Amino acid sequence: MQFIKGNHPARWVVPLIIIVLSALAFWQSTQFDRVPPILKRGMQPEDFPQIIIALIIFLAVLLLIKDTDEAPEKMTGKVWPSMALMIAFALVIEIDLFLGLGVFSFLLCLLWGEKRVKALLLVGIVVPLIVFFFFDQVFEIRFPKGILTNLWYG
Amino acid sequence: MEAALSGLLILADPYLLALILIATLGGVLVGALPGLNATTGVALLLPFTITMEPIPAIVILTTIYCAATFAGAITAILINTPGTSASATTCLDGYPMSQRGEAGRALGMAAVSSTIGGIISIICLMMAAPLLARAAYHFAPPEYFALTIFGLSMLASIGNGSPIKNILSGAFGVLLATVGIDLLTSIERFTFDVNELSEGIGFVPVMIGIFGISELLVQASRLDVVREQVSMKAIKLPSRADYAKVWKTILRSSGIGTFIGILPAEGATVASMIGYNEAKRWSKTPEEFGKGAIEGIAGSEAANNAATGGAMVPTLALGIPGSPTAAVILAGMMVHGLRPGPTLFTEQSDFVYAIFWSMMIVNLLFFVIGLYGAKLFARVTLVPMQILWPIVFTFSIVGAYALEQSMADVWIALIFGLIGFAMRRYGYSVVPMAIGLILGGMLETRLGQSMIMLDDQWWLMATRPLTLFFLVLTVLALFGPFVWKKITAKTARNNPLGLSK
Repeated sequence: MQFIKGNHPARWVVPLIIIVLSALAFWQSTQFDRVPPILKRGMQPEDFPQIIIALIIFLAVLLLIKDTDEAPEKMTGKVWPSMALMIAFALVIEIDLFLGLGVFSFLLCLLWGEKRVKALLLVGIVVPLIVFFFFDQVFEIRFPKGILTNLWYG
Repeated sequence: MEAALSGLLILADPYLLALILIATLGGVLVGALPGLNATTGVALLLPFTITMEPIPAIVILTTIYCAATFAGAITAILINTPGTSASATTCLDGYPMSQRGEAGRALGMAAVSSTIGGIISIICLMMAAPLLARAAYHFAPPEYFALTIFGLSMLASIGNGSPIKNILSGAFGVLLATVGIDLLTSIERFTFDVNELSEGIGFVPVMIGIFGISELLVQASRLDVVREQVSMKAIKLPSRADYAKVWKTILRSSGIGTFIGILPAEGATVASMIGYNEAKRWSKTPEEFGKGAIEGIAGSEAANNAATGGAMVPTLALGIPGSPTAAVILAGMMVHGLRPGPTLFTEQSDFVYAIFWSMMIVNLLFFVIGLYGAKLFARVTLVPMQILWPIVFTFSIVGAYALEQSMADVWIALIFGLIGFAMRRYGYSVVPMAIGLILGGMLETRLGQSMIMLDDQWWLMATRPLTLFFLVLTVLALFGPFVWKKITAKTARNNPLGLSK
């Protein structure tokens, strides 16, 4: 990944996000059930996570003061569309895992510049089919039911 | 000796030998494909081993580790793109040699030095790991706790990123390991009433996410990179003159690689950099380095392959991963119900030796494959990214699902793919997070046991000599580089021209 020089918002935004999330995690850890003192041996369940969260906050504060890393370059290429496809994939797998895989692979291949129909069909249909039957027959993995997998499972 | 023989006998099984051959070919393929490396390859293939017995499963993973580390040299030499980060220094001299028509000679040297480095490190592994395991056999929880802290402190120096960010990433991994039911108190933590989280966050979907899916997004920003292959007639074994020039370099780099590999968390990449620099420092013709010096290839390749054997020493003997890929192998062992550490050597010594021997076989196999198949594998490197990565994604998702047959794991893989990408983008290495996740559970359990043992007086840990020793090492690992930097900066200020008295 390439970096550009100069002061930049990421230099303090990222540590601040870490500090806020850690503070939330710390608060969440105070809500854990506790072992009654008479039964307690060693630590309470929140002790260890709280030590780690305190360390994370300390390191994030150090980063706020000392970080000299440069900001990453603006995201170029097909990163944003690929990420959007991944989110679409997460929605489609609610209908059918392999439908999601087929559609995602096909569209990603197209998005990244593939024009040949044979190649698109290979990654969008042939590969998911081979993977499905390989895992189903060789590893006896049962995939979640969906509109496509039901055709096989009945 | 008996265990070594029974380990060898286990490998006399034709099924296992066939698996090793297939996994070697697969490992070379993984290492040769730009963007995929040993760690990603092992993480992606781990779910395929779930239905296997532990021995073939772990043999496959270690085979892929060794073979992929070697194969990174193929792309480094032929297309100036290191197949794995451990081969980055091989590009410096390998590609210039290819450009002047000596690709075959460069690949021949890479194959020979990789094999020698790998074999030397495995001999060291066979001798050092049982000794280390015997020494660790009497460790009590405080010693283990301090040792794990030391292992985690070594994460600070992983890669070339900021040590603070590395430790932060490792601490995040340790925090992730606290999700689920606490083993000491049976109380749920950070589960947010999601049933699937009560057993914790699985290693495998996280590894697939941070190494596989995040790499897809990294590759999405590199689609415009043009890869051109340099033509090669045939691979050529080094000549006598070459051997005379490099034998000391190979031996030195093998030693460096093995030592760096043994250090917790430091892997083949660091080893190859140091191996290359030392080869240059000791060379009679350092000015040739970077322009196609055969010693450069030997120095880098012997070191990175030696690091694979070295990395397995703490992984098997102490349960502390010696490299990022060893961390994934360690996760694989845990998934298969094995507990790496001293007890592994006493209770399943034949298993341990079967792993050692299989690594030895792989080193010999990839020498042959490197010699006769490099030309073919070099063509594989030109597989279009738009075809390769959708296929990798399909395997990643199905692999994440397959282990527990749970859609929650698919979600975890996707979420950690995005987290991993964001981390890498802002300079946070994902490797410390993976190692923190693996070691986090052990760290907390050992601390809890130590507290019980010491009657809640944690400061008594410092009264135990070995615990104190590991804690001092931890302080040195964390602060040593800063102090050293200050001292060298001060020396440079006092003596700006570098003149000695």
